[in-house]
Amino acid sequence: MKAMLKAVEYVYPDYRLTNDDLKKEFPDYDFTKFEEKVGVHARYVTAPDETALDLAVKACDKLFLKVDKDSIDYIIYCTQSPEYILPTTSCILQERLGLSTKVGAFDFNLGCSGYVYGLSLANGLICSQQASNVLLITAESYTKYLHQGDKSNRAIFGDAATASLISTSSDNGFGKFLFGTDGSGYAQLIIKNGGTKYKIEKDPKLKRYGSDNLYTDNHLYMNGPEIFNFTSKVIPVFTNELLEENQKSINDIQQFIYHQANAFMLDFLRKKIKIEKDKFFINLKDGGNTVSNTIPIALKKYFSENKFDQPQNILIAGFGVGLSWAGGLIRTFNL
Amino acid sequence: MTKDLFLSSLKEQLELDTYLTLDTRLKELDEWDSMSGMLLMAFISDEFGKEITADDLKNITDVNSLIDIVGPSHFV
Repeated sequence: MKAMLKAVEYVYPDYRLTNDDLKKEFPDYDFTKFEEKVGVHARYVTAPDETALDLAVKACDKLFLKVDKDSIDYIIYCTQSPEYILPTTSCILQERLGLSTKVGAFDFNLGCSGYVYGLSLANGLICSQQASNVLLITAESYTKYLHQGDKSNRAIFGDAATASLISTSSDNGFGKFLFGTDGSGYAQLIIKNGGTKYKIEKDPKLKRYGSDNLYTDNHLYMNGPEIFNFTSKVIPVFTNELLEENQKSINDIQQFIYHQANAFMLDFLRKKIKIEKDKFFINLKDGGNTVSNTIPIALKKYFSENKFDQPQNILIAGFGVGLSWAGGLIRTFNL
Repeated sequence: MTKDLFLSSLKEQLELDTYLTLDTRLKELDEWDSMSGMLLMAFISDEFGKEITADDLKNITDVNSLIDIVGPSHFV
């Protein structure tokens, strides 16, 4: 049995926060330089009563305009913004979408490497004949985790959800995938409180990092330089391993679609790996870093702007919180 | 690379308005922010093939201390 990624849809929340809006809150910060380097002009923010699941429902409804929802027999839901600690959000999604009660459904907690894991799992379910039409969701509302005084992260992160369909196929849409994990960096990107180890604090200590950014242990903290360091060390080598594992050279790949973390960092990686500009996707101007959503959004944008009559070799890779990274070769088109 | 050229390249790469000397304490500049750390890492990697770590970044004070981390043999 073979599988292929057949369709992708994405949605953002309605509220669009531009650099001009942020400039009003942080008049001393150079948002022109920020936009030029990090590559983000606007990001979308969920309303207080809107959750990542609400976005996921919208993304799925968009997908169901072209895909028969009764054909779905499995839901894989990637999120770090679950509706509740329990139950699993994908169970609620099954009901919200009116899917068959015969579907398999589970959530998994990964960030920027999540979509690649999701594809790998979906391929495994189909190849082992446990499912035929897998609905893979990514849904995040990181903006809810950010301190209002955390200018850097409010400028980088945005909310979004995506829905992908992976189905049985006569062509093989999946090459080899590789994974990487380094838990020694777990504290570099973390929300410390609110899990089982540390309760949410009522009156948390206000902390500072980098250029006068504020946060508390109830909020998301990211050590930007450490994450940059990890990525620049790991991802170029990992890219070569992926190519080797798939017995491909850079020339055999039509497009490299990596997690859209930050334009400067992506361009730095591109130069290190020695990939031409037009083969390396960088576009996070509208939307920002939406964690596990960036790869499916980029895939959708790429295949909307470029039309092909046969599957293309796309190398994907996600990296970040965990620390966790994953990559693989996919063959797809017409998403 | 001469230290003068290093100072002017650093000013350009980090997009600083301040004129740098070897004694300038980088992280105390008003213009220094978390993005500067990333720009610095990339500049040193491109120019000298040397990866500076986030720990190195913590230990940087003035430009001289950065030169020590990069390796004084790179400079004339």
